Amino acid sequence: MRNEKDLLQLMNAHFNPLKLEIKREQNVSLEFEKEELIQALSFLKSHSYKHLSTISCVDWLEEGEFELVYHLFSYTDLINISLKTRIEREPGIFQTAKEIWPVAEFYERDIHDFFGVKFKGNDNLEELILENWQEIPPMRKDFDTRKFVNDKFEWRDYNGQKHTD
Amino acid sequence: MDKNTQTEIFFGPNHPGVPGNYGINYQFEGDTVTSARANAGHLHRGFEKLMEERIWIKNTALVPRICVEEPDINEMVYAMGFEAIGEIEVPRRADYIRSIILELARIQGHIFSIGGNAAGIGQYTVMHWGTLTRDYLLDIFEEITGARVYHIYIRPGGVRQDIEAETFAKILDLMDELENERFPDLEKALFENPNAQKRWQGKAVITKEEAIEMGATGPVLRANGVPHDLRKMMPYAAYDDVEFEVPTGKNGDAWDRIKIARDDMLQSIKIIRQLINKIPDGPVQADLGNGLKYRIPKGDAYVKIESKRGEYGYYMVSDGSLKPYRVHVRGASTPLGLYGVREFLPGTRIADVPVWAKSLGICPPEFDR
Repeated sequence: MRNEKDLLQLMNAHFNPLKLEIKREQNVSLEFEKEELIQALSFLKSHSYKHLSTISCVDWLEEGEFELVYHLFSYTDLINISLKTRIEREPGIFQTAKEIWPVAEFYERDIHDFFGVKFKGNDNLEELILENWQEIPPMRKDFDTRKFVNDKFEWRDYNGQKHTD
Repeated sequence: MDKNTQTEIFFGPNHPGVPGNYGINYQFEGDTVTSARANAGHLHRGFEKLMEERIWIKNTALVPRICVEEPDINEMVYAMGFEAIGEIEVPRRADYIRSIILELARIQGHIFSIGGNAAGIGQYTVMHWGTLTRDYLLDIFEEITGARVYHIYIRPGGVRQDIEAETFAKILDLMDELENERFPDLEKALFENPNAQKRWQGKAVITKEEAIEMGATGPVLRANGVPHDLRKMMPYAAYDDVEFEVPTGKNGDAWDRIKIARDDMLQSIKIIRQLINKIPDGPVQADLGNGLKYRIPKGDAYVKIESKRGEYGYYMVSDGSLKPYRVHVRGASTPLGLYGVREFLPGTRIADVPVWAKSLGICPPEFDR
């Protein structure tokens, strides 16, 4: 059983992480170059980090980047790791993790739906939640929900009261 | 049905046999599933986007709506994320109250879903009993929080208000009633029922390796004999102060999962009794200043808790402003509802499909968000 420090040492010995951080007890955050991330994932999987909780995506509009965060957990170390990497917002292409965790296919499809990130190697990126979506992906920061609603739907007046947005 | 007949069936999104507004598209050969595809998205309400548009405190009224069956876990995990980023210390009494609320929620969720499982095999009496028993718990919730289903009670920094001593007495009475009257009836009607045993034993098996590989947790994983429970592995609220066992099964089938739900409720009763007996005095809310102006520093946190269906997590990012920058919901049943359906349903016979879908505790709003 490793503790948080052992884990950081292990990762430092095998990779060149940009940032290592013990967030709080049992929670570690690591940042990688995008070239190294998939290798790090499969390395961790073979070192007892077998549980992939989910993949999160954050849109950093001002920096022009998407941040992908892979949350792993080990049932022997009892540590939660968040592995982060940043990719350019345009064209927004990254590698798939589906070869390591088949379930990642669906998390990637979800991110593709809502952020428009494409995953090389995942050839099944059809719409998962949305249907016939024509606008820019809705979870991007430059998608204006209010404008979309006003363009798409009509406001209704109640009891003679005019709706004001 | 002729075994060579091929049929395509759209099951759901509106059907009493599916767990919520979510469909599964099946192809059958005879009465055996040859392929299944999750048809999600009917319940998508854009929670994550809405959260980015609301101030921190307002979201506490939004998050419980992500899962109807278990709303409180959302409030808890949202509050925990806020506290982790802001490094806020919660008063100990609030921790205890949170655990009591979460355990009451666990019992109401389990009893409701055991009823749902029973309905899936035609045992409608048990379903009605489940709904009735849940109502007694909702009465307690109403007394504590003023609301029956969505409580908006656990909030950043603590809980909304204190619980009176007489309410604690009522909770203890109800726990006795559940243990001595409701559960023995349930035992006779369902768990000693040969029909239920026959329908659930050896059905919808998911092995330990398969569960870990796809990220399934909770009863699905525990049904294989591994006592993995976040309440033990990464204690939160007041779970480090109580003693309880993590129920497990051994065959990984529907029967074991439903028995785990029953045993979980008994453990919850044990936990609630311990918590009420030694709850400390003190405030129930940390002073965070004006609720409309909550601000926490830049940062991010992945927080997770053990819901009745397994790991329930939020990834939260703050940019230091009045609103969250990003909140990502990891539902307990996401891998099962999307990936599991495709991988494990083929080969199942049509009559066992409800056994499969219900015993895994799929909650569609978690992945539609």
